[in-house]
Amino acid sequence: MARTVAMFTDVSLCIGCRACQVACKQWNQLPAEEPEWTGTYQNHAHFTDKTYRLVRFIEKKDDKGALMWHLMSDVCKHCAQAGCLEACPTGAIYRTQYGTVNINQDICNGCRYCVSACPFGVVAFNHDTGRANKCTFCNDRLHNGLGPACAKACPTQSISFGFRDELAARARKRVEDLKKMGFKNAQLYGEDQNGPLGGLNAFFLLLDRPSVYGLPEKPRLPQNNVFVDSLLSIGSALLVGVGALVAFRERGGKE
Amino acid sequence: MPLLKSADWPFLIDFYFFLGGLAGGAFVIATIAHLVGGKRNREVVRVGYYLALIALIPAPILLTVDLGIPSRFLHMLMVAKPDTTIGMDAINLGAIHIKPLSPMNMGAWALTGFGLFTLLTALSVFLEDTGPGRDLSALRSTAGILGGFFGFFLAAYPGVLLGATARPLFQNGRFLGALFLAVGATSGAAAIALILSFLGREAGGSLSQMRWVTIPTLLLQVVTLALFLVTVEMSGAEGAAQSVALLVSGPYSMTFWLGAVVVGLIVPLILEVMRRQRGSPGLVAISAVLILLGGLLVKYVIMAAGQVVLS
Repeated sequence: MARTVAMFTDVSLCIGCRACQVACKQWNQLPAEEPEWTGTYQNHAHFTDKTYRLVRFIEKKDDKGALMWHLMSDVCKHCAQAGCLEACPTGAIYRTQYGTVNINQDICNGCRYCVSACPFGVVAFNHDTGRANKCTFCNDRLHNGLGPACAKACPTQSISFGFRDELAARARKRVEDLKKMGFKNAQLYGEDQNGPLGGLNAFFLLLDRPSVYGLPEKPRLPQNNVFVDSLLSIGSALLVGVGALVAFRERGGKE
Repeated sequence: MPLLKSADWPFLIDFYFFLGGLAGGAFVIATIAHLVGGKRNREVVRVGYYLALIALIPAPILLTVDLGIPSRFLHMLMVAKPDTTIGMDAINLGAIHIKPLSPMNMGAWALTGFGLFTLLTALSVFLEDTGPGRDLSALRSTAGILGGFFGFFLAAYPGVLLGATARPLFQNGRFLGALFLAVGATSGAAAIALILSFLGREAGGSLSQMRWVTIPTLLLQVVTLALFLVTVEMSGAEGAAQSVALLVSGPYSMTFWLGAVVVGLIVPLILEVMRRQRGSPGLVAISAVLILLGGLLVKYVIMAAGQVVLS
């Protein structure tokens, strides 16, 4: 396995130009969609099967009551423990040698389990092909020594691409600097490899709580439930089995 | 509230979950009646094994219609060029892959395996019916016991499958698998009782026996349904209380309380407890139809409420 790569999105540098969103559309040849009015400059409301990079425009009042814009370029998190990948019954979703998560379109059978298993609502179902789509981390570019198109296009280096360990060190330094500058709520999201989902390979620097950006505060791997749920099902099965045994033996055995 | 997406599985899938549960429940009840029920419950065995096969036939069709292209079902089980990086627990055997942490993959295997056993048991009953003097009891015991495990699995796995999603209603309750299994058992028992009620006098004895399967499984369904709702509500997770409210007081509350609880559980429980040992076949049939309807509705309403995208 090659060294793990990552994308680091620093929301404090985002100016909301959407160059990343356009670059992603162009490189991945994603068709246009009907615009969606969300009440802000944001378009669309959420990821779609044709929008893998999405700049969120979140309007919020600050302490003094002045309007404040939270801008954030959101993307698939390429989780180290990925709910979509574990859920996939076909093996279409796989981990590349760079640590990213990708969907093999030839194998995907359109069951949509990954769509509901993603803790971030990233994976989207494409009704034209009948298959699931999400950010590929520009898999083709990656295999040719290039970073993803969104990071390449970002004019402010809000999105940066590199090896995970190097990016994480830079992110930790950046969050300290921002705190010194007075951004009290500045925090990293998904940088910690001992944290939720084993860390995210696309991690973020946020200026407020994750929920402000529509991110779960404590994302969980859905498959952690399988063991306990199965044990309780076995318990239920034992009760049914014993009940039926008693019913037929006690009252039915006698001729 | 985190931004989530929904698979938006249609009613086809709810109906598949219902039929799979019914087939599994009927099969297990038939196996137990065969093993310990003696000659008196021979009709339960016949009806149960035939029912399991008949209920299972539409299952793969429903799934394939949902996927769109028939060959796509095979992808659940095997692909031409397997990859070793498809999950932390994945087992690759040639082109075949088994993913214990993916309940959908395991369910596809269970459906395949259970199909084989339902065919064998139904065949054994059929051959004995058409050729008097044949005794295929040994084959039926073997296929019945092995298939029984698959039947239980098929009834329960949809609940575990839903539990392993990020949907707040499904993810935060721990008893969905247990509930789905209980619903499978009540549906299987009700379907057997319904057919026995039409068979007339020869099934009279078995009919009163079935009551002692139906009442405990209905009670188990009540308990697991309550535990499911309580565990979701108590989890305190993001969106959990909101999605329970959809079910118990929101747009789905009518279907839930009236359909799944009153029609599907309370009325049949009263009917089953009230009726005397022999009971009238008409009353049994009514109670069975209500249980079947309630079993379908409880699965439908949980699926529907859980798949609503909250904002």
